[in-house]
Amino acid sequence: MPMTDNQGSFLNRISIRRNQVSNMENNHEQDIEDLELFQKHVADRFSDLLPNDPPSTTDSPAIDQSPLFSISWFRKLLDVFLCCEAEFKALVLIGRDPVQFSKPPLDRLVPDILERSIKSLDICNAVTHGLELVHHWQKLAQIAVTAFEQKPMGDGQVRRAKKALNTLLTSMMLDDKENNYHAKAAERTWSFGRRSGGGGGGAGNNNKDRTNGTFRSMSWSVAKSWSASKQIQAMASNLVAPRGGEPTGLAVPIYAMGTIFVFVMWALVAAIPCQERTGLLTHLPLPRNLNWGQALIALQDKIAEEWKKKEKKGTTGLLDEMQKMEKVAQNLVDFAENFQFPAEEEKLEEVAEQVAEMAEICRKMEEGLTPLQQQIREVFHRIVRSRAEVLDVLDQIGKMSPPVPY
Amino acid sequence: MDAEKVTQNSETKSHDNNPSDKQQENPDPLPLKVETENPSPPDESQSAEAEIVQQLSTDDGVKTTDDGLVQEDDPNNDEVKVEDCSPLPPDLGKVSEEIDQFISDLSNLKGDNESKPPDVPVFVEQFAVLVEAKIEDYDGGDAPIKWSQLSQEDAMSFLEFVDRISKLLNSLCQFSSEYKYAYSISRVDGVLQRAMSYIEEEFKSILYDYKIPDSDFNSDTSTKPNKETNSSSDTNQDAEQSSVAESAPSEDNKFPGYTEEIVTTMNKLSKALIAGGYEVECCQVYLIARRKALEECLHKLGFEKHSIDDVQKMHWDSLEREITAWIITFKHCTNVLHSSERKLADAVFADQPSIAEKIFSNLSRGMMIQLLNFAEAVAMTKRAAEKLFKFLDIYETLRDLLPLEDKLFVVSYADELKAEATLTRSRLGESMVSIFSELENSIQADSNKTPVPGGAVHPLTRYIMNYLKYVAEYRDTLEQVFREHQMIERADSTTGSDFDCQNPQAQNETLNKLSPFEAHMMKVMDLLDANLEAKSRLYKDTSLSSIFMMNNGRYILQKIKGSPEINGLMGDQWYRKRSSDLRQYHKTYQRETWGKLLQCLNHEGLNVNGKVNKPILKERFKSFNALFDEIHKTQSSWVISDEQLQSELRVSISNMVIPAYRSFLGRFSQTFTPGRQTEKYVKYQPEDIETHIDELFDGNATPWGRKKL
Repeated sequence: MPMTDNQGSFLNRISIRRNQVSNMENNHEQDIEDLELFQKHVADRFSDLLPNDPPSTTDSPAIDQSPLFSISWFRKLLDVFLCCEAEFKALVLIGRDPVQFSKPPLDRLVPDILERSIKSLDICNAVTHGLELVHHWQKLAQIAVTAFEQKPMGDGQVRRAKKALNTLLTSMMLDDKENNYHAKAAERTWSFGRRSGGGGGGAGNNNKDRTNGTFRSMSWSVAKSWSASKQIQAMASNLVAPRGGEPTGLAVPIYAMGTIFVFVMWALVAAIPCQERTGLLTHLPLPRNLNWGQALIALQDKIAEEWKKKEKKGTTGLLDEMQKMEKVAQNLVDFAENFQFPAEEEKLEEVAEQVAEMAEICRKMEEGLTPLQQQIREVFHRIVRSRAEVLDVLDQIGKMSPPVPY
Repeated sequence: MDAEKVTQNSETKSHDNNPSDKQQENPDPLPLKVETENPSPPDESQSAEAEIVQQLSTDDGVKTTDDGLVQEDDPNNDEVKVEDCSPLPPDLGKVSEEIDQFISDLSNLKGDNESKPPDVPVFVEQFAVLVEAKIEDYDGGDAPIKWSQLSQEDAMSFLEFVDRISKLLNSLCQFSSEYKYAYSISRVDGVLQRAMSYIEEEFKSILYDYKIPDSDFNSDTSTKPNKETNSSSDTNQDAEQSSVAESAPSEDNKFPGYTEEIVTTMNKLSKALIAGGYEVECCQVYLIARRKALEECLHKLGFEKHSIDDVQKMHWDSLEREITAWIITFKHCTNVLHSSERKLADAVFADQPSIAEKIFSNLSRGMMIQLLNFAEAVAMTKRAAEKLFKFLDIYETLRDLLPLEDKLFVVSYADELKAEATLTRSRLGESMVSIFSELENSIQADSNKTPVPGGAVHPLTRYIMNYLKYVAEYRDTLEQVFREHQMIERADSTTGSDFDCQNPQAQNETLNKLSPFEAHMMKVMDLLDANLEAKSRLYKDTSLSSIFMMNNGRYILQKIKGSPEINGLMGDQWYRKRSSDLRQYHKTYQRETWGKLLQCLNHEGLNVNGKVNKPILKERFKSFNALFDEIHKTQSSWVISDEQLQSELRVSISNMVIPAYRSFLGRFSQTFTPGRQTEKYVKYQPEDIETHIDELFDGNATPWGRKKL
């Protein structure tokens, strides 16, 4: 892949140069060059994430392997994050005189980025929990697929599928509407509706005695009253572009990386069910005048557009597979509602198409969710690692050593 | 052909036993519930079932045995002779036998591709109707009958029917391409689905009906005998259940929150679900219920979830409490919760070890990751000396307890957890190493310019020595931490923290023989020494500097002596070296303070031509008195808090001064005329000197006059 080649050479370049030349004066020009290169890479990478064909945006099912907002698209996004982060670190940390971190504007910017790191970690965790829920949905959809694939398609299997799909849809709706994992919503989100498939006459709502117990705040949540949208807001709040002609060039990459942090976390929150998303920002402070800013703005507009649609329709998130799953599930439930044995050939063919689509979605989830989760974990560990490295540098400045507390 | 015979046989049988016309005209007034609770003679049940069938056929949305409809669907398929037989079999037992025979016939047919499968016999439909009626009994009304309310017999026979239905469906499905089988497959499948739906809900409801055992570490619940658990088979179950659950003993061999009996039931239900092909449903229900239960457990153990962000902002006091709770929770998870959870999964899915393993791993993994996240969040907090010990506690917990999980998990999960825990541990390690080097830096940087009055032990010395005493108690762990960290440092050349080699030349040789941790301890001690030495220079009086060094040195040695851990760390050689340093200060002090005084008592220069030079002698006495007064005045305000050191010092001073004074006095005192002159120059008797020496280093600036004799 060109992306990684690119990066490898960039990292080599920087580390070799920094190791060879210790004279900061001579480095100045090359510094500027490195900085330009970093920004260019950021711009290129995010541009690559845009759909190839600008005029036909969302409604054309691109032949591209990873359509916008699909699981594989998000995996690419995380790749981009990891690449940018690695280059950022090389640019800002390797061979630098730590003293400049204690001078303005870095003395203010560096703590900001540490703070953003911390908040990003919580978002990684929240999103991981969200993916667990998506896993669960996939299992429900899989039940429906298996049931519908039975031949001949009979009442029992159709009822079975309907039950699973209704649970799926209810869970998706609850997760979105109540938009919070606490209190009862969480448990309902995570459970099978009783006899929602309506088998027999006892389809009445009699789960009061079943889901008993004093349940509160029990799913794998981040913490009580933690809110993804608030965290994003906090991360974005102090994101200010450096004024022109800041003395040290490092303010620019730090600003760029900060923006990437906010953007990527924001995109994850918009895509994946996540604790408390109401009021999620739809507009991030992105720089129009920088080349990478343009790429981010283009993506942001797409995400924001989808998110607004989502808020109107009440779907669960931008994740492409999830949206499709919801739609197909609805269609299949409609089919199941009107099903009578034996079904007409025509209808069977129709539904077979839908089932095939659902099977495909399930396959993609089956293949993609776990790697996506692992990748998020990788991002998590990377952020922790980098934060520690920055702290090490700050340690070296010495001013960090607290007095002996005698 | 065999198959045809079977069909005919069964048809005749069913005709024989099934006077359907009679039954339909003879509705039985018996209510359904009564029927289910006492399995009754055939004729009674027949009529009851008739009623059910009637009910069913009018029930909207539920398709059952509407003959007309079937005919309409298959107008040209006369082979499916559903219409000419009655849907009302006489006896479930008999039909069951027929079904079993049919299943076995079909399976014998299996390998034979040539043979055409037999027509579906009528008793298949009869069986479907009967089982459906049973399900309707249990699951029909607004309030389905709870599984626990079924008698053991009913429960058993229900599961038997369900099992038979599952098998029947499987057999029929071998011929799913046969058009004539389609209806029956759909029919049987429909019944199975209802049965599965009922079982699934009951399975779920039983799962949710757990009781979180009281925190096992301090529970007294294990008093009730085990046997009680098993005695409750057929009595009033609801009451029995709760009391049994409450008395669930806390031994490891217990299931988490369920009685053994309930677990057996769950096993049966899960088996039925899996046999019916509803494995995914079964697993998901189980997973979600147990996930919730485990969450509650964590909560009950006192583990509260905090975002990483919150942990960073928390006050150390509160965080310390959370860490304590975390350790308790972690211990409980690894010692009790996980093994009992594993046991539960193994028991519920006894016949499917791979499912049990997967489900358990999934559940526990989620839990462990959460717990590890907290440790990670703590490791990320701002470093501070006082945090070291809690960090060590977390580190040790992870190190010692995680291996317990190994045998519970599938390899891949165990590896993942190990990797995660190793990462967390190394973060904690980094933090600890950094705390240590920060401590070193801050000792180095401590430049408090105010000398401690009286040359007493400096607070820095006290703090560091007490700190090191605790540090030494964690010696083995810290050894490990420093070793691991050294390896990380070497592997990771991009981060260039070089705390380890700041003072390379001077100490290289000794340091090389030491472990990294010992080297750090040595370094802290050396830094402390250097700092104290610098502080000693703050005193203008050299004697007071020596006293200060003696005081602090003595304090350090006492602390080391008092703690076998540090003692072992620093070694005898080091200790001896320190002691000799101390003696050196002692000597310096004696020389500085008392050497001068003794010069006054020098005999030299006093005898001129064999006669005592009186004016010089007078001068000598005068200066001795003045000097001694001065010493006494200043040095009784100095401090030596260590009693032993104090008396050692006094004794050594007395030994040095008194004999000299005594001899001086003996030699020269008679030179003066007794009376006024003697009184004027011989101010002190040797005993007075001794008394005054004993007043030194008391730390009280006593007004001189009061003590005057």
